[in-house]
Amino acid sequence: MKEIVMKRRNFLKGILATSFTLASTASVLTPLTALAKVGATKRDDWLTTGSHFGAFKIKRKNGVIDQVKPFDLDKYPTDMINGVKGLVYNPSRIRYPMVRLDFLLKGHKSDTSQRGDFRFVRMTWDQALTLFKQSLDEVQTNYGPSGLHAGQTGWRATGQLHSSTSHMQRAVAMHGNFVKKIGDYSTGAGQTILPYVLGSTEVYAQGTSWPLILDNAKTIILWANDPYKNLQVGWNAETHESYEYLAQLKEKVKLGKIRVISIDPVASKTQDYLGCEKIYVNPQTDVALMLAIAYELYSNNLHDQKFIDGYSLGFDRFVPYLTGESDGIAKTPEWAEKITSVPVDVIKDLAKTMVADRTQFLMGWCIQRQQHGEQPYWMAAVLATMVGQIGLPGGGISYGHHYSSIGVPSSGAAAPGAFPRNLDEGQKPIFDSKDFKGASSTIPVARWIDAILEPGKVIDANGAKVTYPDIKMMIFSGNNPWNHHQDRNRMKEAFHKLECVVSIDINWTATCRFSDIVLPACTTMERNDIDIYGSYANRGLLAMQKMVEPLFDSLSDYEIFTRFARILGKEKEYTRGMTELDWLKKLYSECKTANDGKFVMPEFEQFWQDGYVHFGEGKPWTRHADFRDDPEINPLGTPSGLIEIFSRKIERYQYDDCKGHPTWMEKSERSHGGPGSDKHPIWMQSCHPDKRLHSQMCESKEYRQTYTVQDREPVYLNPEDAKKRGIKSGDVVRVFNDRGQLLAGAVVSKNFPKGVIRIHEGAWYGPVGDDGSITGGAKVGALCSYGDPNTLTQDIGSSKLAQACSAYTCLVDYEKFRGKLPQVTSFQGPLEIGA
Amino acid sequence: MSQVNQEITQEISEEREARAVVYNFLSSLFAKEVTSDLVVQLTSAQGQSFLNSLALEPSLTGSIDGIKAKFATLNNEESLLELAADFCGLFLVDGRTSVSPYAGQYVNAKPSENQSEESGSRKKKDRVEIFGELHQKVTEFLTDSKLQVHSDFPEPGDHIAVILAYIAHLCVTAETKEQLNFIKCYLMTWLSDFTQKVNEHDHGLFYCYVADLTLAWLKVDTEFFPNNSRATN
Repeated sequence: MKEIVMKRRNFLKGILATSFTLASTASVLTPLTALAKVGATKRDDWLTTGSHFGAFKIKRKNGVIDQVKPFDLDKYPTDMINGVKGLVYNPSRIRYPMVRLDFLLKGHKSDTSQRGDFRFVRMTWDQALTLFKQSLDEVQTNYGPSGLHAGQTGWRATGQLHSSTSHMQRAVAMHGNFVKKIGDYSTGAGQTILPYVLGSTEVYAQGTSWPLILDNAKTIILWANDPYKNLQVGWNAETHESYEYLAQLKEKVKLGKIRVISIDPVASKTQDYLGCEKIYVNPQTDVALMLAIAYELYSNNLHDQKFIDGYSLGFDRFVPYLTGESDGIAKTPEWAEKITSVPVDVIKDLAKTMVADRTQFLMGWCIQRQQHGEQPYWMAAVLATMVGQIGLPGGGISYGHHYSSIGVPSSGAAAPGAFPRNLDEGQKPIFDSKDFKGASSTIPVARWIDAILEPGKVIDANGAKVTYPDIKMMIFSGNNPWNHHQDRNRMKEAFHKLECVVSIDINWTATCRFSDIVLPACTTMERNDIDIYGSYANRGLLAMQKMVEPLFDSLSDYEIFTRFARILGKEKEYTRGMTELDWLKKLYSECKTANDGKFVMPEFEQFWQDGYVHFGEGKPWTRHADFRDDPEINPLGTPSGLIEIFSRKIERYQYDDCKGHPTWMEKSERSHGGPGSDKHPIWMQSCHPDKRLHSQMCESKEYRQTYTVQDREPVYLNPEDAKKRGIKSGDVVRVFNDRGQLLAGAVVSKNFPKGVIRIHEGAWYGPVGDDGSITGGAKVGALCSYGDPNTLTQDIGSSKLAQACSAYTCLVDYEKFRGKLPQVTSFQGPLEIGA
Repeated sequence: MSQVNQEITQEISEEREARAVVYNFLSSLFAKEVTSDLVVQLTSAQGQSFLNSLALEPSLTGSIDGIKAKFATLNNEESLLELAADFCGLFLVDGRTSVSPYAGQYVNAKPSENQSEESGSRKKKDRVEIFGELHQKVTEFLTDSKLQVHSDFPEPGDHIAVILAYIAHLCVTAETKEQLNFIKCYLMTWLSDFTQKVNEHDHGLFYCYVADLTLAWLKVDTEFFPNNSRATN
């Protein structure tokens, strides 16, 4: 024993004798500072903040978020609150600025085919931002502004000061000009057609107040609309007040006071909650159903001719199409039944019901997210016009009651302003050129992949010609196109052509994995901000108090782009010489001034201590009431000032896929007897998720485990279809078409009719090779291991009018997966290509 | 104090210091990428002497030889960048081919003195978020010792580099019982698992050597602790 002890002693003495020491700066530990001693216990009280999922109070323990509870005024918190801690502390966080190694070594000549699956190295912020700037220099010098697309946007995180989009675009605009976008993925077709018809986008506007609907409507038509699911999230800090009204509606339905009729292929969450009536319609055939209802109204003289004459234009040019005089096809209920599967007597009954008493139309958004998505919105407006109740309380049509407290009476208060997105007056970029080389400087939001693949091509878009720019570099800040865009394999092809991709985000999304420079932004919980709560109702102002310091080396978007502006030599121009706190005080005090005399707001310090200021109850309001009251004094924003059933402007465009009046047109692929259904018989619905905001919160592992099936996104299947394929709940299913393939976890449910499946969008993309290995995930055609439905969707514009996202025009088939089950690869950083 | 007692105290103090040097060295290799400065240090006469003295212990020889050989190749920027990419892919991101450096992703929050490694390890399904209970526990230890994680190292307290650095501190400040308790509860419960994963995923091999060295050193070091007849598995 003694010998062993001696041997050990000599061994250790030998080590010491070398006098080897590391530099003193090398240690990861340091003496405890006075601040740190105090910091652990200080401010462990309840702090306030908000998010798309809700407003919260949060408590920390030793500087780490510990408890989360709903904000006092949120009486209907969503169970997404359980995922909030995971938003901050999930291992998918980007911890440090990183650069793809091959890009670091070879710059714009790197091997882009390996993007998505390659090696990264950590950088300091200075190094990474300098590289970013150098790439911008190169692109502006070699290609000019048309080579840079920094215009894409997403849902970002809430807050009026910290906006991932605004900070990036303002800072990059200080360097040079760039390609921007028009429209969005949510309501691309709807927001483009409705100005022609009703004079405004309608989708992002306050609607008739719920109390008025509840008091006056006798029938509510929920058309492709699932508000009980979608109202869980909001554009601003969401306090879920709409749920109070849905609860009242449920009661009225129970007592037989209001009929709610939900027209939807699927039995939705709202249907289940309200216990309301349901009408099944074949997917993508809603326009045929609407036309048949219109035919029924017209042929029985049930339509409101007086309203049509006084408030609309072009009915007389629409009628020949309706009756078949112009095209030989009368749009009768019998005609529609063949296409829609809705029985003739149901169609006739629906028409009668709509005019029997006060009827409120509430349209959902997914119905316009398909080929010819402009048509259902247009035709629904025509129906509402024929019913003649637009502008009456509880009558007329709304395109937004499932969104962000639309319908909750507005307080009328002024909302705070935001950090500027553009340059200040008199400021100029370093690269001042506005020469886009004949290409358009703005392109439709969903056509950017087309642009990369076919630069120089000319397309029709909303009455104009758009020439695709030759894009070489893209910047994505707080947005995840590898979630929301369609046809993943086509995206891979396009990305090969980009010389540089920069992403600023919180987590390692698929977009970050397909990037060259990745910059870590912090969450809302790691910065101070202000926001309104109650979104469109603007019910009050919320202090968004910083809970914890930014994790790892992440920074707020403001800090990231302040440093970037510093490298440009434009820091003061960017910040206007103000700190984060200065900006908050400024935005708050300007809001206070705007509300002077109408709404009492304390001084900033008091507001910050209280956590919020409430603006009080709003006044009920009816949409289009002033138009109905006097259409001459209060015209709509259409060319005629009236509802345009026939649009001369659109007719002049001579588009074959969007004519002068609403039209039923067959789709490029459609289930239930439509084109392509013999090869791929199933319609895939990829609607907004129930347990996320798009792709946000997918990264929260704990929360994801509450709904995934074998770690994968659920795919909802009809029992008969599933049985035919030998599939039961819990199985892994391969869903496929000619565009791609994915794996998802089966949930068999009678809520889903034959020929229909649902996979919620926002499922993080995780491609793997053919044999389930991680290599080859970057290859075109790779299997998505998690279940991202956009692996399968079609990347076409809705029509020449809106050129919008058409994700819902998608046919697939599916089978039980029998191969070796690959692990899910979506929630991790970059992978190394096997040596 | 008698002459003999003074000599014994001196020897014990030197042993402790030597151990601290090794733990700090291991900590530094997990804390960040290998820099050109570190290459210069370790390829210098002193550095080589240090490595050679470690290699005298047979169970450490293989790993040390591997590390020395690797350092000999790190003579240009590109080779350092490749190694930095290895480090990044292993320890700076989370995924199937990376290796979490955080104790909390391997073990439960309240490991006890008698807890074996098997019962302490967390099932894969239960993997928690970062900055969890183990981070809190280690941070409390640091605070009690009037230490904190350096602001230049913005990582949770249960990062392996922090744990190793803290053990180095305990080497020179704490009784062996306290040292052993901390080592067992906060490192030995997961180090095998960690090392195995590094061996699975590090194609560059350098970090395999570093992880192997760490595991072997822990065995060698804790063998001699009193009341520790089974220092490791």
